[in-house]
Amino acid sequence: MTTTAAAPTGATRVRRRPDRVRVAATGLAGMAGLALAVVVGFLGAGLLSGRVQWGTLLTSATWDPARLDFGAAAMIWGTAAVAVLALALAVPVGWGAALAVQELAPPRWRRFLRGAVELLAVFPSIVFGLLGVAFVRPFVSSVADVPGGDSLLAAGLVLALMVLPTIVAVAVDALAAVPERVREAAAACGLQPGEVIRAAVLPAARRGMGAAVLLALARALGETIAVFLVVGRADGRFPSSVGDLLTRLLRPGQTLTTKLNGPESVLAGTSGPHWAALCALGLVLLVVVAALTALGSRWAGVGPVGHARGHGHTRRRELSGARAWRRARDRAVRVSLAACLAVGVGSVVAIACVVAIRGATGLDPRFWFTASLGASGGGIRDQLAGTVLLVVAAALLVAPVGLGLGLVLAEYARPRPARWLRTLTLTLGGVPSILLGLGGYWLFSTQLGWGKSWLAGSAVLAVVALPPVAVAVAAAVSALPPERREAALALGLRREQVVLSVVLPRAVPGLVTGLLLGLARAAGETAPLLFTATVFSGAGGLPTGVRDSPVTALPTHIFTLAQDAADPAALRSAWGAALALVIVAGALVLAAVPARRRMEVERA
Amino acid sequence: MTRRLLLASVLLLAAACGGGGAEGGDGAAGTLRVSGSTTVNAVAADAAEALRAQGMRITVDSQGGSAGGIAQLGAGEVDIAMSSKPIADSDRTAFPEVDFVPTEIGKDAVGVIVRREVIDGGVTSLNREQLKALFEGRVRNWSELGGPDLEVFIYDKEPGRGTREVLDAYLYGKGVKAPPPPQSDTYAIVGGNEETRTKLRSTPGSVGPLSSSFIEGVPQLAALAVDGVEPSPANVANDRYPMARPLFLLTDGPPAGAAKRFVDYVLSSEGQELVTRHGYLNLADLAQK
Repeated sequence: MTTTAAAPTGATRVRRRPDRVRVAATGLAGMAGLALAVVVGFLGAGLLSGRVQWGTLLTSATWDPARLDFGAAAMIWGTAAVAVLALALAVPVGWGAALAVQELAPPRWRRFLRGAVELLAVFPSIVFGLLGVAFVRPFVSSVADVPGGDSLLAAGLVLALMVLPTIVAVAVDALAAVPERVREAAAACGLQPGEVIRAAVLPAARRGMGAAVLLALARALGETIAVFLVVGRADGRFPSSVGDLLTRLLRPGQTLTTKLNGPESVLAGTSGPHWAALCALGLVLLVVVAALTALGSRWAGVGPVGHARGHGHTRRRELSGARAWRRARDRAVRVSLAACLAVGVGSVVAIACVVAIRGATGLDPRFWFTASLGASGGGIRDQLAGTVLLVVAAALLVAPVGLGLGLVLAEYARPRPARWLRTLTLTLGGVPSILLGLGGYWLFSTQLGWGKSWLAGSAVLAVVALPPVAVAVAAAVSALPPERREAALALGLRREQVVLSVVLPRAVPGLVTGLLLGLARAAGETAPLLFTATVFSGAGGLPTGVRDSPVTALPTHIFTLAQDAADPAALRSAWGAALALVIVAGALVLAAVPARRRMEVERA
Repeated sequence: MTRRLLLASVLLLAAACGGGGAEGGDGAAGTLRVSGSTTVNAVAADAAEALRAQGMRITVDSQGGSAGGIAQLGAGEVDIAMSSKPIADSDRTAFPEVDFVPTEIGKDAVGVIVRREVIDGGVTSLNREQLKALFEGRVRNWSELGGPDLEVFIYDKEPGRGTREVLDAYLYGKGVKAPPPPQSDTYAIVGGNEETRTKLRSTPGSVGPLSSSFIEGVPQLAALAVDGVEPSPANVANDRYPMARPLFLLTDGPPAGAAKRFVDYVLSSEGQELVTRHGYLNLADLAQK
């Protein structure tokens, strides 16, 4: 980074010279606030543009824009149903896998096993959508006797796979934060390994395990594109009785996100009752997801031991019983935890194999470097170029903002505001990407009068990547040994100079890691691009302008092809493009591994 | 290196914040933007491909179908809207300052598409009342219509899709609001023609409105006759088939510049060849009647 040339020495220092670095960092961090302001602003402006009858919206199940009936109860039910279904499947498996990784596996296997399950997160949601179309729909159709397979159940199954890595990652972190002495003490009391988990580790990791559920729930509620492809999008389906609940799961439905991703967002215009009602849906979604993310992030960040102490002794009564019985039970516990891990790793392997085998065309270099032809033929040259352009531009946009926000979080803000800012940053990371897309559509298309534009898409993707970047920068800066700062101060450097010469070099590896991970996620985003940046065809290669210069991109290309899955050629192209996208996202994640490891080593 | 990257970042940020600014301006002024119906898209995408070879820059999109294209043309976001339904009075009132000029490029039929086993089971033609009952969710089993003992599954199109509006216009009359979608369990929504075809093909007992040319080469699917009239080319050309519909390219004012070049190409013999290739009737076919 830049260094301070010709800094005045201490003797001639001008007092109260403004700290330009601080001003710059704060200004850049402010731009992050702008992103949140746009999302909240477009929802607010939309709500004000037409009267929203909240009572009807929340209780009526009839959605019929032609008659100005805007009842969202059926969508809220659909959203809740798919999310709960997903969690019911994924939480036990995820918790079990996390326990197996952290508590049962030999230490040297831990990193590998955890990484293996987290690899699921490398697959973009559009790939899960494709899996849903190709496998889950037919599966549900044949097993549950659902015509066609479009159903809340299918959406729930797809979501279960998608939230699994979130649960495992957060839960493993929570377990790893439980001090070793807790386990040693429990083992010294004569407890079996499974009992150690139940009596000592779990109570200590309670909050973190809960955070895993909250964050997974937020992810499930906000997911758009994968659900869109398999849920059936039928309005007005609301269970009429308790007994009806289960049968409804086997029927098509609609969720808040799939409604927003549908044509109505484009058709409603950006004012009036219809648009206001859509904004109300967005607000409901935003409030619930943001609250879950904020709470989950706080729980995940809270140290474990403090809460646990009071609870340890209450568990004793459950541990009685004959020794043989206890041993058998313990073995059962361990086997089932290992089975959970096997399910987790197995699904990663299965999905990877499916993508690799079905997408074999994606390994042919000619596929990468020839243009697509007609609806489903040819290669993916332009889509690849578009995705690379979007990601590179997003990186350039997000790097300074993320760096500034990270510095504010870890360096400039006082502890209390910093905690709030951090929560806000993580909340921004949890904002469903469909809302970012609609926010971008509102800002660029309707307020600024742009057509679809690669820069608008990049700006939205930058917002997607921002939280991981800022958090990684903040983590790197926080890990700075205090001696270094003290040494720099002792040399008489001003705060500005300390930041430039000591803190910033330290932040760069964090910036790189955060960028790679954030962009890996951004590269696979689909819904926001549909509204801001991409078209069906004709945006060949690199754009020549900014405002009315759309691109084609891999995720939206797959989205189009996935809807034409009856055509074998389209499906083949879709899988090929999916493999290419996974390779791009995977390469970004893998590139982050060395940087991440180096940081961990330095911190240790 | 770092400095240069930083400079690029700052410039890009400035561009993103400043609304494109002067230098972003109209860098892509030469790009013709086409958007709308997936039915017309099949032809337009091929035409665009051919014109691109001649150096034109054309983007084609189909988000939101016909109504999406019309809304985007109304908002000035595209230059040509593709529509598989005639422009309605409500469109003109929604965008009073826009002079929608339709250019007909061909014609096709909204077919009532079913899985082959339904036709094999004895349902070959339905009348208006039967279709109403079907799409309103009042028919639960094909046996009620004299067909096989098979549950009916309806795939209806998203609101605003040309196909859906043509069906509604036939069932309920022009400009009459269709009733809200049925509360039936065997009912789902689809978007573009490709998705409709895919889902119909994979669902036993399914029925949905779909451009009849989209089922060519799909042996699992077939079109029902409506009131005894099949959607054959002859019946579509002379409007005996009740859900025949013209396909349009819409512009704001008479086509001019790049838009004119595009429209002219689609109307040329090469362009009309594309209309035929996608299974629609071209203008020459219609003139013969």
